Amino acid sequence: MMDAGRHPNIEVLTNSELVRFEGKPGNFTATVRRHPRYVDENLCTGCGQCVHDCPVIVPNEFEVGMGARKAIYSPFPQAVPNTYIIDRENCLNDDFLVCNNCMNSCDRNAVNYDDLGAELRLAVGAVVVATGFDVYNASAIPSYGYGLYDNVLSNIELERVLNASGPTRGHIVRPSDKKVPKKIAFIQCVGSRGEGKEAGCQYCSRYCCMNAVKDCLLVKQHEPDIEELVFFYIDMRAAGRGFEEFYQRSLEMPELTYVRGRPSKILEDAVTKDLMVYVEDVETGQVSRIKVDMAVLSTGAVAGETNNRLAEVLGISLDENKFFEVDPKYGSPLHTSREGVYVCGCAAGINDISDSVSQASGAAAEAEKFVTKSPPAQEVEPAPEMDTSGPPRVGVFLCHCGINIAGVLDVESLKEYAQGIPDVAFVEENLFLCSDEGQRLMQEKIAEHRLNRVVAAACTPRTHEPVFRESCQQIGLNPYLFEMVNVRDQCSWVHTGVPEIATAKARDMIRSGVAKARHLQPLYRKSIPVNQSALVVGGGVGGMAAALELEAQGMKVYLIEQQGRLGGRLINLTRVYPANLSAFELARVMVEKIKASRVEVMTGTEINAISGFVGNFDVATTNGNFKVGTIVLATGADIYKPGDEFSYDRFENVITNQELEDILHDTKGKIDIHGQTPENVVFIQCVGSRSSDTNPGCSRYCCPTTIKQAIRLRESGVNVAVLHRDMRTVGAKAEEHYRHARELGVKFIRFTPERLPRVIGNGKAAERIEVKELALDRILDIPADYVVLAAGMVPNKATTDKLQDILKVPRAADGFFMERHAKLGPVETTTEGVFLAGCVSGPKDIADSLAQGAAAAAKAAAIISHDTVALEPTTCVVRPELCRACGECVGMCDYHAPGLVDKGDGVQVAEINQALCKGCGTCASWCPTGAIVALHFTDEQINSMLDTLLLDRV
Amino acid sequence: MAKQPGKAGAVLVLGGGITGIQAALDLAASDVKVYLVERSPSLGGRMAQLDKTFPTMDCAI
Repeated sequence: MMDAGRHPNIEVLTNSELVRFEGKPGNFTATVRRHPRYVDENLCTGCGQCVHDCPVIVPNEFEVGMGARKAIYSPFPQAVPNTYIIDRENCLNDDFLVCNNCMNSCDRNAVNYDDLGAELRLAVGAVVVATGFDVYNASAIPSYGYGLYDNVLSNIELERVLNASGPTRGHIVRPSDKKVPKKIAFIQCVGSRGEGKEAGCQYCSRYCCMNAVKDCLLVKQHEPDIEELVFFYIDMRAAGRGFEEFYQRSLEMPELTYVRGRPSKILEDAVTKDLMVYVEDVETGQVSRIKVDMAVLSTGAVAGETNNRLAEVLGISLDENKFFEVDPKYGSPLHTSREGVYVCGCAAGINDISDSVSQASGAAAEAEKFVTKSPPAQEVEPAPEMDTSGPPRVGVFLCHCGINIAGVLDVESLKEYAQGIPDVAFVEENLFLCSDEGQRLMQEKIAEHRLNRVVAAACTPRTHEPVFRESCQQIGLNPYLFEMVNVRDQCSWVHTGVPEIATAKARDMIRSGVAKARHLQPLYRKSIPVNQSALVVGGGVGGMAAALELEAQGMKVYLIEQQGRLGGRLINLTRVYPANLSAFELARVMVEKIKASRVEVMTGTEINAISGFVGNFDVATTNGNFKVGTIVLATGADIYKPGDEFSYDRFENVITNQELEDILHDTKGKIDIHGQTPENVVFIQCVGSRSSDTNPGCSRYCCPTTIKQAIRLRESGVNVAVLHRDMRTVGAKAEEHYRHARELGVKFIRFTPERLPRVIGNGKAAERIEVKELALDRILDIPADYVVLAAGMVPNKATTDKLQDILKVPRAADGFFMERHAKLGPVETTTEGVFLAGCVSGPKDIADSLAQGAAAAAKAAAIISHDTVALEPTTCVVRPELCRACGECVGMCDYHAPGLVDKGDGVQVAEINQALCKGCGTCASWCPTGAIVALHFTDEQINSMLDTLLLDRV
Repeated sequence: MAKQPGKAGAVLVLGGGITGIQAALDLAASDVKVYLVERSPSLGGRMAQLDKTFPTMDCAI
């Protein structure tokens, strides 16, 4: 969020909306209306004085009405931009009344009641629609009493209650009496998977199952005395990376009880405000009433209320649920009905965070094809470097941060104190050092007093160090001669009640900051050239999508495929849900496109070795060697081989869903297996998935595949039964297909892993299946001409082993490659310049693999669209004269940065590759001879801080 | 990259939640100018309202 606010290429227009849109892809004109904010973004520093003086108190939307805010406010503490806004509906300044408190309190005259907003006309080449979803309003279901009963909360309200900065400071209390509840009910599918009139949407909102499981764990963490959590659900849909494992962990929580069943109603006790939940447990058939202190409704997600209008402005269509419609012909979830307009995340239907992030990067890649890239904003000629030799002349700048610091700390006394610290040549204070005015002052004083080291005692370096460093650089002072001391977060914020002690601590911190600054050395960012080409490993959908996107952006691409042909697994499928596209056709179009492009395709090729680092990888293959700047791994996954499970090896008519797909591929219309139309087909789900013996995770693709195949068989008159643990309808329209299958008469029967179905047969053929029907508590005997096992996905062991060995990309416990961050970095790895697309990082369907292919291309393009990549200079370096080549550093570094190098005559020394080093300092702290130095955190610098903290304490 | 005639130099991203921010950052990283338009007064969207995210339990904001 901060990054977006600060990026020179991003102009953030908040409180704004699109009102007109015309033109063609590559050349659209967008008119954006900026609604008045009544506070000038350029002047407001976010000090909060106005809020203090505003007399109006209204409910806070961000806290879903549970907290309060003023009429002039910042939506939440970390808001970007951190500019306040006046809610004129509640402001006292209207035509008749004049309050003017906020205007009078603002030192910078940022408040302007006459702000009229503005209309901006923007020339854009493409549009990315990322408008998200709205939360279902649970009061539409009167039987749950949301909005009527005090102690019925929505899941979003619970999120705010759990948050340490939320309305209850993270304490879980029930609204009616502010007491800690002992027993809480979690009710799933509120407004989702609806049946009947008052039930909301028919689709699955996807995010709520895992969100509620997470909340159960958090509730227990916040209130360890909680006695019971009862979780009412229909199917447990834990279908993302690591989700199933997370769910399994929750099963070990003694306080948490899972009840399969959708409550019919909640009633409130008018006196105690306790709640009674009425439910039928569908596994036991038992109807019961369960008394709880509080209930949390997992409210589903619905299309944004502004979608209608936005679709009209953009000229794109909506689907039947009012989400933006995805053009099905691409198979990918990113294309809207208008070329040049792309969609991602929940704007086009419900996705979890990690899929949304992949889609966002993918949409970025699509949009990039329609724009001219401009060189990075560096129009200013860098100033000549200042001479910083000679004894240190330290400048100390003290920031008031409005009242954030000066309201607690005695800044005047700190100023006086700082003047007495050795080598301090100048001290100044400022109301807002980060403001333009403050930064100009700092620059002037540095030049005027020939300061060669600078210390700022202000807020957090996390947000403001780059600002101050940039200001130093602008006037030619090396930015690494700047040191920041965080007297806000570490003094005034945490010791608000004891100003004297807080001020004393600030004195110590400033003194140690100056001590370090005396020893700071200039450092320089090195740029290394980038080889502007990419390697894509794997020619399935993910790999082909990545290669095509990169090529469309004008990049040189090598596409390597182990097999003799492109197309991967897609070519073997019949139809792709949800639009019933021909898989073969989709694959054929992509292969044709690749062949017609400049992508250098190498089929039947394997990788022998890869060396180097971001921007400069040397690739050796069985088909020649070349250099690339970035690598996308898209080697897919294998289908689990069932072996003797469910007598797969023994009976010829026990097949996998992949084998059924092959059969359906060859039959047109009439279902014909080996010359006969089967009468009865039984599917068994979760074979090789959700099991600690095989893949602990959910394979995601199998439930929708089974539904698709079951519909096909049923439509040909076959009796179909699906034996499952939870039906998980991952993907667009999958829930609707599930409903359709049930309407067609496909029977869905649940089993538990403790009591698996039994396949019974004779000789070489299975004849029937025995399965226990849970609610009836009876063994069912189902005839079966064919048994279809929904075999999950497993990592392709040989390929992943080899790639891991070559590229050092870590793998998770499930054997798939690990993403940099499960939510925020789904296609990145911890190895810089190496990206993932498709099933190589866990099971995915076609649409998700296509989105990830595009996403990986966007990430890769960000590196190779530049001539050089700049390296952060705060790395570790080896002083060769002290190194005894023990090799300890080589073994301990997670990034493989150090290596032993032969210097002739049998002498070896360690060298650290600056491109690979992250500057963490682990090796420097361990090095037995002290040969390794962590630049910017040298022993001398750290020791001088410690010395002054421990010895000079006043 | 050479300037391609006839193409605008910017992308409009509608929505300042996690997906909009991600798309904007990816475009910006490839030297594309981005207008990030958000209807409400701050970036952040839904995710900023969440406390922690599963399964890593990282802070959501």
